Amino acid sequence: MTSFLARALMLSTPLLFGATAEVFAQRSGVMITAIEGVFVMGAWAGFVGSYLSGSHLVGLLFAMLAGLLTAALHGWICVYLGQQQVVTGTAINILALGVVAFFHRVIFGVPISPLQVVPLAKIDIPLLSSIPFLGPIFFQQNILTYLMYLMVPVAFFILFRTSIGLSIRSTGENPEAVDVAGINVKRIRFSMVLLAGLVGGLAGSFYSIGYLGMFTTNIIGGRGWIAFAICFLGNWNPIGVLIGTLVFGLAEAVAILMQSSGTGLFPNEFFIALPYIITIILTITRKSFNVPASLGIPYNKEN
Amino acid sequence: MESPYLEMKHITKLFSKVVANNDVSLHLGKGEVLALLGENGAGKSTIMKVLYGLYHADSGSIRINGEEKKIRSPKDAMALGISMIQQHFSLVPANTVTENIIMGNAHGIIDWKKKEQEIQALAEQYQFDIDAKAYVRDLSVGAQQKVEILKALYQQAKILIMDEPTAVLTPQEIDSLMDFVKSFAAAGNSVVFITHKLREVMEVADRIIVMRNGVLMGSLEKDKTDEKELSRLMVGRELVKTKRDEEQQEKEQADCLVLKNITLKAENEIAKLEDVSFSIKEGEIFGLAGVSENGQQELCEVLSGYKSPTSGTIWFQGEDITQSTIEERISMGIGYVPADRHKFGMVMDMSLSENMLLKSSFKPDWYQHYFIDKKKLNAYTASMIERFDVKASGPDDLARSLSGGNQQKVVVAREVDNGETLIIFDQPTRGLDLGAIQNVHETMFGEKRKGKSVLLISTELSEIFDLCDRIAVIYKGRIQGIYQHTELTTEKIGLLMAGYQEKKEALV
Repeated sequence: MTSFLARALMLSTPLLFGATAEVFAQRSGVMITAIEGVFVMGAWAGFVGSYLSGSHLVGLLFAMLAGLLTAALHGWICVYLGQQQVVTGTAINILALGVVAFFHRVIFGVPISPLQVVPLAKIDIPLLSSIPFLGPIFFQQNILTYLMYLMVPVAFFILFRTSIGLSIRSTGENPEAVDVAGINVKRIRFSMVLLAGLVGGLAGSFYSIGYLGMFTTNIIGGRGWIAFAICFLGNWNPIGVLIGTLVFGLAEAVAILMQSSGTGLFPNEFFIALPYIITIILTITRKSFNVPASLGIPYNKEN
Repeated sequence: MESPYLEMKHITKLFSKVVANNDVSLHLGKGEVLALLGENGAGKSTIMKVLYGLYHADSGSIRINGEEKKIRSPKDAMALGISMIQQHFSLVPANTVTENIIMGNAHGIIDWKKKEQEIQALAEQYQFDIDAKAYVRDLSVGAQQKVEILKALYQQAKILIMDEPTAVLTPQEIDSLMDFVKSFAAAGNSVVFITHKLREVMEVADRIIVMRNGVLMGSLEKDKTDEKELSRLMVGRELVKTKRDEEQQEKEQADCLVLKNITLKAENEIAKLEDVSFSIKEGEIFGLAGVSENGQQELCEVLSGYKSPTSGTIWFQGEDITQSTIEERISMGIGYVPADRHKFGMVMDMSLSENMLLKSSFKPDWYQHYFIDKKKLNAYTASMIERFDVKASGPDDLARSLSGGNQQKVVVAREVDNGETLIIFDQPTRGLDLGAIQNVHETMFGEKRKGKSVLLISTELSEIFDLCDRIAVIYKGRIQGIYQHTELTTEKIGLLMAGYQEKKEALV
């Protein structure tokens, strides 16, 4: 039971990273529809960095850099060129898959067995990890999951207690008001996209070096989109997002459990599809959304 | 000579190739209220947006206390004590009053309690009845404007620019705004008041600058000029006010349109229209006054058939049309000029003749062997262009290529023709210049003389008073009362528009 819950929590980590990244970007008015591509690039660059250098730190840095560059492309097109965000993101997602598949083969050729790295180590927090039941769930995790614990309060604090948070929220609602207040709308939006790239890259690397210790091109398999959906379902709020990611983490853990043990009642494929089915059900049943009023609308003015 | 507090010299501003301001120079003294008067598109807002750093001038300079200043962004302007309230408010509806006011003026971690107290104290100091914790989306338009003013006060503005501040206010709110402007200026601050309304100018300004087509037409002391001179400078010619004809008053006419107990209410929401009853006679202009967003839009939608009322009945020439479709109503001769012509009136990327066809495309007249009879349609459109004096090169012009006033003429032309019996005008003159307004008003009188009924919905009181035979006032979806036009004063209608119910004994 504890190992099941610990795994659920672990699997929530990258989704929370991705969804929080979306919260910041979307609160400022930009949908990172390229999030799947950011995840893919992060996963691959993280793996390449770790494999070539033998250092996870280098891997994580590579992942952040790759996420940053992918998001920067998205941000440049959507914020500065004012292009349509959905189309741009879709194109970048396809591009990212192509880039990764191509360069992976260029660098590594076609190995007989998949290349492996050692996954990120689990770190036991002294004392806390020995709390019965809770300890093994919460305090025997890898560094990224510990980072996740910090992320929710920090994100909440920045959004709702600081002036920069106020500017971000206002930009997504009414960019004209922000402009008139003397704040640079495009700069805010582009910085949020870059931030989302950094965090999204880390999220992607979780799947390669944080968990599986290997890389395949379908490693993300739509989880970027799930993070995207969680941002909506969590009502653009870090706490809502936390709840959303825990649900999906649980669903993924169930899927893995069922694949190994099985119930006999349902085919395994059903459980693999579970997170995606939940996404659809929740999206349909969710009644009210506080969509940022200017989400997806480029800001342009003559001057 | 002592240099004035603020000087703008030889400002020229181009938008792509269109000249918005051409060599405009003006100055502003301490404690002065300067009115910037001109028609829509005269360049009043543009010159002030240059001062506020929202636009960058192509040439010219700005001096404050004789010192040349570069204003690159609103931030620079604010640092110099310049604040501007935009015509369309720059507020974030989803945020609180406090959040809106401190945005851009607070740094780092925000102590909400302390900020809220500061804002509340500031509001009280100016006797503004505003709750610092309220969400802006819950405030009336008048209160939102006070939030905008508080924002400027919070930034300790010395020069306050207001762009068409009275457009959305009731007469009482306008009075209190004027009082504020006067006392703010009396404290040594300066105000620039952008408007196209002569009456306001004469009330509040010390000095008046008139602009037309991006050029400064004159700078006049208020005491040495009058409304006539100002309107001539502003429009470029004398305007003859459209006169109503009073003769045919007394004849008792049959009812054309009757509304009985119309209610429109979505589930779990407050009613948009509540128990609305009135009737419009043949050959009558019936006015519906009220502050915008009090149910006018919904009433039009119910009348045109876009929405079905929750309860109540509509009779048109003795026939129950409550459940009739839009198409049936158009065929019956109901014309409708919507308030938002961009959204509901025209398709901007279609030609004028296609736009003329829009609402009667189901009629077989326009077809020959199942195809649109382009020749006939173009000839018809050309005749309408001629008749309504639309400035366009021909029926194939795109609607987008016309000015706002001419677009409106096209919609009016179509609806006047469609509306053989009744024409609904919702805010028909909003955003038009004086010439175009006159044109629309004359059309309304002309159709009335032909015996058509007209429903005029307007927030512009002068329009309501000038044109209507009878006037109803709407507030929060309820009719506050129906009056002969002679029965109402500006003050009384203002109170009704603000929701004060008339008590029979306490009649003014």
